Amino acid sequence: MKLILSTSNLMTSGSTVIRPPTEKSNVELINSLRANLHAAQSTSPSDYTTWTKSSPHALYIPATDFAQGLSEERSQYDITVKLFYLPGIPASRRCAHTREAIDLVLKELHVDSIDLLIVSFPGILFDADDDSEEEEEGSSDNGSEEPDDFDSIIQTWRTLEELQEQGMIAQLGVAEFGSERLARFLPHTKVKPSVDQINLKDCCVVPKSLILYAKQEHIQLLTHNDCNDVLPVGTTRELLGPGEKGVGILASAPDKDDGIQGDVEPQWVVKYTAVVKDRGVVENKGYFALADVGSCVVKP
Amino acid sequence: MGLLALGTALDWPEAKKRADQVRKWGIEQLLANWHRAKGKERNALLWGDEVEYLVVAVDDETKKARLSLAQAEILKSLAKDEALWKEGNSSHSQNKEHEGEEPPHFHPEFGRFMLEATPGKPWGIDFKDLLKVESNMKWRREVAKAHMAPNESPITLTTFPRLGTKDDYIQPYYPPSGPALRSQFVPDEIANPHIRFPTLAANIRSRRGRKIELNVPVYKDINTPQPFKDPTVDYDLHNWPEDDDVRNGAAKDGHVYMDAMAFGMGSCCLQITFQAKNMTEGRKLYDQLSPLGPILLALTAATPIYKGFLVDTDVRWNQISGAVDDRTREELGELPLRNDRWRIPKSRYASNSTYISQDPRLRKEYLDPNLIIDEDIKKRLIDDGMDDLLATHFAHLFIRDPLVIFSEDLEELDLNKADHFENLQSTNWQHMRFKPPPPDKDDIGWRVEFRSMEIQMTDFENAAFSIFIVLVTRAILSFDLNFYIPIQRTTENMETAHARNAVLEQKFYFRKDPFARRRQNQQSPNGSNVSSTTSSAHNTPPPSPPLNPVESEYDLMTIADIINGSADGSFPGLIPLVESYLNSVNVDVETRCSLASYLDLIRKRANGTLWTGAKWIREFVASHPGYKHDSVVSEEICYDLVKAVDEMTVKEGKHGTVGWELLRGKKN
Repeated sequence: MKLILSTSNLMTSGSTVIRPPTEKSNVELINSLRANLHAAQSTSPSDYTTWTKSSPHALYIPATDFAQGLSEERSQYDITVKLFYLPGIPASRRCAHTREAIDLVLKELHVDSIDLLIVSFPGILFDADDDSEEEEEGSSDNGSEEPDDFDSIIQTWRTLEELQEQGMIAQLGVAEFGSERLARFLPHTKVKPSVDQINLKDCCVVPKSLILYAKQEHIQLLTHNDCNDVLPVGTTRELLGPGEKGVGILASAPDKDDGIQGDVEPQWVVKYTAVVKDRGVVENKGYFALADVGSCVVKP
Repeated sequence: MGLLALGTALDWPEAKKRADQVRKWGIEQLLANWHRAKGKERNALLWGDEVEYLVVAVDDETKKARLSLAQAEILKSLAKDEALWKEGNSSHSQNKEHEGEEPPHFHPEFGRFMLEATPGKPWGIDFKDLLKVESNMKWRREVAKAHMAPNESPITLTTFPRLGTKDDYIQPYYPPSGPALRSQFVPDEIANPHIRFPTLAANIRSRRGRKIELNVPVYKDINTPQPFKDPTVDYDLHNWPEDDDVRNGAAKDGHVYMDAMAFGMGSCCLQITFQAKNMTEGRKLYDQLSPLGPILLALTAATPIYKGFLVDTDVRWNQISGAVDDRTREELGELPLRNDRWRIPKSRYASNSTYISQDPRLRKEYLDPNLIIDEDIKKRLIDDGMDDLLATHFAHLFIRDPLVIFSEDLEELDLNKADHFENLQSTNWQHMRFKPPPPDKDDIGWRVEFRSMEIQMTDFENAAFSIFIVLVTRAILSFDLNFYIPIQRTTENMETAHARNAVLEQKFYFRKDPFARRRQNQQSPNGSNVSSTTSSAHNTPPPSPPLNPVESEYDLMTIADIINGSADGSFPGLIPLVESYLNSVNVDVETRCSLASYLDLIRKRANGTLWTGAKWIREFVASHPGYKHDSVVSEEICYDLVKAVDEMTVKEGKHGTVGWELLRGKKN
């Protein structure tokens, strides 16, 4: 079964958005999910079926009716979507995942296209001190995960290019690419990325080589503050499990009978922001996350 | 200072007779304009900064710094250049760095030693625009300097340290005691000669029934005489009836005494004006920025010297307030009300006294229970359809008399103009100003002006504070922040901000939780959205759950906590809010790094790592070899200070150069 988690609009939901400015983390996602889930749960603490919505293929946590949308015309907004492919999930699923994620965002915002889709591949970590990111592959902190291999990135990009051609996405972007990876990547693309989003830990030590290369290739370097592995398995179970921090949907362990049984496997996370263009006001920002649960989950 | 219309200015007895007419016509103009403009929608964010300069002439031979009264010549020369510019013939248009930018605009100010400069075109919210602000400010300074004598410079000190002393602190020199100001310290020639300014000064004095009276507590150093009696006061002057003021106790012991509008209106400020999307958003920003006024005043503190003495306050605000205080003794409460209509608690230049947003979060307890309004005017506004809050706001501004009236303007009421409205509106110098669109400019929307900040010595600082405020407005709108506190607390905060080193040593009332309370289940079962306060929330009653006592909503906080967040995490802090906003929008690397350096300045001012301008000036004086620890800022110190400030505007404290303590925090 698919579990579709959502945060609702973070901008109006209070202090969940605040964190120490330099902390690169997934605190925003986890806190806002937790806050949204708990708020929904408080209407009926013991029976999650009243505040979630079950469809033939998925359980929406909490229930969402996609009723809100944006307050002004589509043309007033810049809509940026960032899709996190999670570690350990086969690249072959990404085509379906991408559509799934984009569809949810379009439905949530009541729009039929987005302006920029940035994709984040697992295991790619940009290191400002050293632009030769090849060495970092495999040396990421969550050590057990395999770095994304280059072929699967190209394969995924094909899917994105198709969506772009269909007019669903105006521009594409990547995250955490250093200049060498970009140089290797670009020749394989029909639609070049317009954006490379990098995380600046200690602001402003961007390798000159990247600045120059990006300029030459007309790729805009944007900053972000996201974590690479935004939704670890353990966190997901903690959020949805029976414990003090959870909302009592999942069992405390795959084989326990205090909730839905089986392994839980987060598949992807998508973040969306709708900014009123000429006023710089963020009107809507939120996340969806999708996790599979069940005994027949394919182990990577 | 508004447009400089020409005509026959009425002196006070005449102006007073026509005051009702001007007010009435002003209200009719407001209503006509409000009907026209209330539906204006979708205006982009545009904003502008105003930087004010003192023009200082230095004489390196005699080691003297003087105020230059060359404003008119400089402006004439600038205007000529701007005209050439438009034809593409000016040398400055060749300046590569500013290619494609509109030339800056220069404006006269009250003081004849002052200039004001604004960007040639308003800024937008494109983050790349934000990067142009600092370089544009520097450019303005260069352009201004290019039109001055070689020994003159535009300096961004709030006040000239030796304005009003016995020596020749102005050039050309004029002796004090003229018919308009009747000051024993400054000549009438200190003011812009345009008829508006001497009339303004004379009518304020005349309406008051005596001269302006400013007493600033002197800073008591080890050698300062005790008790301190301002040694520059002349008790034996007999040129004008007002010369009696000092014999009647106008100059107070322990204080530096000043007696003319120039001591206040001759101060330089940093003001920011924003265009809102519509009237509703403008009203919201007006309310939400109001509690920030005193905080930014204390953070930008830069005014520790008056009339050649170190004083015990750090900011200019109350001096300007007193300098244009036209209240009579009856209005001040010193005499029983006989001729005047009200006791009025504040000067025309003061912290603002109204909230105007139709926001369900605005509780009636936040409003000033003792607000003075003109009931007839309010009735007129309401009868014509204006809502109670906005009608109250204007009925409050219109308790004042118009000060400068040109007889030519009283012949016919033109509802397509705003001159009479502006006569009152723009002489209500509150720390926030809500500005209706000008009737003749269709492309301009509702605007809000943030007016409390002191000018900073360098353009880096001025850009940092301007951009910070812009980003705060974006965070307010994006997160729908709530900074409401009872408006009297803001008035008290404004006083608190005056204390020496208030930024580190004082606490300010501030709202504890700036977030809208999280609603249970944001979407109701029928799918209608109950959480949005952006739509027509002002038409719905306030949320029904019982509200906590107003007193429990706010607390006394340090500026470090307000800006950077409290250590226990209970208050998020304005900088983290701004950072959080920036993390939600697409910002390119270069812009983010510049913004980081601006936010860093403000963060460190708030936590004391960097000094305020006021502290730096105090330390400069204290460590000057010529300083005798008697509070006196001599001509020699003044000269060295001006030179240091001039150097600082260029070197900006880099590599341990002068001013590193307030700009960098480290010597290298």
